[in-house]
Amino acid sequence: MNRMVGETYWQRVIFFYIPLFMFLVMLLFPFYWMIQASIKPDRELYNAAMSPFYFRSATFDHFRYLFENTQFLLWMVNTFVIALASTALSVTCGVLAGYSLSRLRYPGSTMLGVSIFVTYLVPPTLLFIPLSRLVNEAGLMDTRWSLVLTYPTILIPFSTWLLMGYFRTIPKELEECARIDGATRWQAFIKVILPLATPGILSAGLFSFTLSWNEFLYALVFISSPENKTVTVGVVSELMIADIYYWGSLMAGALLGSIPIAIIYSFFVEYYVAGLTGGAVKG
Amino acid sequence: MKDDAVKGKPVTEKKGITRREVVKTAGVAGVAAATGVGLFGGTPPAFAQKRTIHYLMDSYFISGAKDVHLAINEEYKKQTGVEVKMEFINQNDLNTRLTAAVEAGAGPDMTVLKWNMPHLFAGGLANHDALLADIDASGYYGFMHDATMVDGVYRALPAYMTPNAWVYRTDIFKELGISPFPETMEDYLSAGKMLKENGTPVGFTLGHTLGDAPANCYTWLWAFGGREVDENQKVMIDSAETRAALEFFREFWNDACDPGGLSYDDGSNNRAMLAGRIAVTCNAASIYYFATRNPDKVPEGLGDNLHHAPLPAGPNGSYGTNQPLSEGIFEHSKQKDVCMEYLKFFRTGDNFEKWFVAMGGQAVGPSPVWEDHPFWETQPALGSIPKMGGYGRSFGYSGPYDRKASEVQAKYIIIDLLALVARGDSADDTIKWAETELKQIYEG
Repeated sequence: MNRMVGETYWQRVIFFYIPLFMFLVMLLFPFYWMIQASIKPDRELYNAAMSPFYFRSATFDHFRYLFENTQFLLWMVNTFVIALASTALSVTCGVLAGYSLSRLRYPGSTMLGVSIFVTYLVPPTLLFIPLSRLVNEAGLMDTRWSLVLTYPTILIPFSTWLLMGYFRTIPKELEECARIDGATRWQAFIKVILPLATPGILSAGLFSFTLSWNEFLYALVFISSPENKTVTVGVVSELMIADIYYWGSLMAGALLGSIPIAIIYSFFVEYYVAGLTGGAVKG
Repeated sequence: MKDDAVKGKPVTEKKGITRREVVKTAGVAGVAAATGVGLFGGTPPAFAQKRTIHYLMDSYFISGAKDVHLAINEEYKKQTGVEVKMEFINQNDLNTRLTAAVEAGAGPDMTVLKWNMPHLFAGGLANHDALLADIDASGYYGFMHDATMVDGVYRALPAYMTPNAWVYRTDIFKELGISPFPETMEDYLSAGKMLKENGTPVGFTLGHTLGDAPANCYTWLWAFGGREVDENQKVMIDSAETRAALEFFREFWNDACDPGGLSYDDGSNNRAMLAGRIAVTCNAASIYYFATRNPDKVPEGLGDNLHHAPLPAGPNGSYGTNQPLSEGIFEHSKQKDVCMEYLKFFRTGDNFEKWFVAMGGQAVGPSPVWEDHPFWETQPALGSIPKMGGYGRSFGYSGPYDRKASEVQAKYIIIDLLALVARGDSADDTIKWAETELKQIYEG
């Protein structure tokens, strides 16, 4: 990276590289902890005389316990399916609502936009009680659909708000040109707006997928059968028993559960940043 | 049809079943099904109807007991055709699930309940008086009844209790010349100082935990004669006895305890004890159970060097807070009668005894009868565990164990009373704070 004009080497080290290093340590330390705790044998893990920051010998016993004594793989599949479906539903609704609120003029659009965002502020800890009644009356209790249809209550408001901002950055003239050339509004939306809004859509999708993947409360309340559980609930139910925690397997489960998100982000992080910042500058 | 033509009848070519006929047939079948008068006449016999009851409980820590429970369920299914669908969750998530079930009026048919939960969820639990009358619970410990009876009605079946006692390292005590386990608070303080100087202090939680903190903290107050309220629920926390308890506790905490206990959760003291970092803690039999069955995961010989004792006596005696566990049938359940029959099958007679033995000391029966069960002779290291029922008091002493006492427990007021003093606050300020909090609850 080039130095700024007038900046000395040591200034760069003190004001850039050292803070950056500290930031990296703070961010990556939890992953390091998870990795070393998941491969450390129990005799080292519970031995207070040994340093907790490194391991002397490695074992895959915790992973073996996770796969052989729990339904971890099934939980991962459930979580993936639920996260994918709820993301698809939420992003679709968010795109349509975001476009409508940012581009179309109709009575009540401003109030509607504000109310959609305000619903995002209602915490799930308040919503889970009325939602559980609704889910039960719909006959969806203990099914994947209970989560696919309730997660959008959290995801759609944020997706809509994010995409509203992003759609506003796309010049109206582009759409108007397409309309002048004979395209219908729908055609202009599909062929002009959507391709340009790809970073924003991917950003909303990533955010929705991450939230769905990590969600705990609704998954705890709406799902009861072990085979329908998600990773977040399943790992806690099976590996935290009374006052005994299987820390090695817990860390193994947490590590494996975070890998899909890490992989997805590594491929799409540029779009994510572009999507989040796209509406930040008024142009 | 040609014959019809010959006979002079109009010739109508039949083109197969018409839409009108299909609709008519479906309508008849639908009405028949709705009224229960089907082609085969009447509703299916009861024995052919598969019934399932949904039972929510916290995950079994003891796999042997889980196997016994599932085997009992299987036997019940063979005898009655009723399948018991078990749902195991983490105990810390019980409150969330129960709240959702009660508020939604839907979910599991029955559930395990800990501590004062029958009081907290009374509005969503069925009347269990008939069940209690059937099984004769008159000999049960008083605190078992207190935990399940709400406004004169049983809202759950008292099932068993998980007593907490003081688990200690006999080898360390022997090495330091401390024998027997201290029986008075002064002796406990002296022993604690020696243990801390040895690098193996007393360790227990003062955090907001579900099990260990409430089980331990109230007993310190009672040992010195302190109490939340009197018999009429007038707040009595501001007393010389409470001051004496707090001043002693402060000294004990500073001189004998692991200061990390302020941030312990329910599993931290287990880990510390199993790692050999502390020499004494307040816990159920789970530490002993884990150490004896997982010798490769703990310091060598730990399982052979553990024993259990009651809290040493203060000026007012020695007390314990045993966690009562009960089983409640939800009011929204459409199979209350089936659930009651199941609970009678599981929680009485040979089935309960099999399960009790399999629990390995983690469970004690609901009445003094179980204190002398032959199982305890096979586990001498469990020490005072079987007798802790006799030390038991309920939260809210000396008033009733009702919703207000439950609220005090849920807000961790008594736990914080000790925690604030342990971190250095003055006894007077702490008592003043607790009095304000208690008055808001008890006196409105």
